[in-house]
Amino acid sequence: MGKPKLKPEIKTESVVQPSPKWNVIVLNDPINYTDYVVLAFMKVLRVSRPVAKKLMLEVHEDGRATVWTGDREPAEMVALELQQWHLNAILEKDG
Amino acid sequence: MAELRLTMTAEARKVLTDLLRLIAPAAARVSVNRAKIPDADPEVANFWTETLSAQASEEARLLATAFASAKGDPATIILRNEAQSLAFLRALSAVRFALRDLVFADIPDSQLDGAEELEDESLPSEKRHALACYSCFGLLQQSLIHQLDSEA
Repeated sequence: MGKPKLKPEIKTESVVQPSPKWNVIVLNDPINYTDYVVLAFMKVLRVSRPVAKKLMLEVHEDGRATVWTGDREPAEMVALELQQWHLNAILEKDG
Repeated sequence: MAELRLTMTAEARKVLTDLLRLIAPAAARVSVNRAKIPDADPEVANFWTETLSAQASEEARLLATAFASAKGDPATIILRNEAQSLAFLRALSAVRFALRDLVFADIPDSQLDGAEELEDESLPSEKRHALACYSCFGLLQQSLIHQLDSEA
């Protein structure tokens, strides 16, 4: 009797890589008033006044703040909208 | 939302209108040039450039029309709705950036914060004139922000 043929055991595993996230960063500038920046954040990011104020203070005191994180295309739209308010918004890949 | 009003003396209106006429073409360029446009994807970069250029032209037109239509003494700019008021607010920011970049790029940021204190005779008169206009545009912006947002 011949040896039984062993079937090679093949395991498959699919790995789904999450798409990288992008941060929208706002840099401090010497021109825009703090109230203007708060209003811009409330309108563009659709956040409450306390959140907008907290983000504005972070920009003002630390020179920069991450104001939004997400997929690349919506991040680009948020950054563009902030630039339309003449804020220094840039995109950075998360991590 | 009720219409919003910005009031200034007829003389201030004339001075600001004259300055806007001079600076408007360059202001549009400054606005696009200083934008941080992502350059990795030419299609995205092109879209951003076109969007920001169109906005810059619209802002220049909005300011010119608003100041030209503000008759009387005191002269009053009337903004009909929130969208127009927000656009005007952004346009004032653009012109302040343009003045900063084109007229007094050599003045440090720390000094610019107290622009009203820069009335010193050592500055050339055109620079003092531009600084006064810069402060006036800022005052108009603050007045508008407080009308738009009573909690500000």
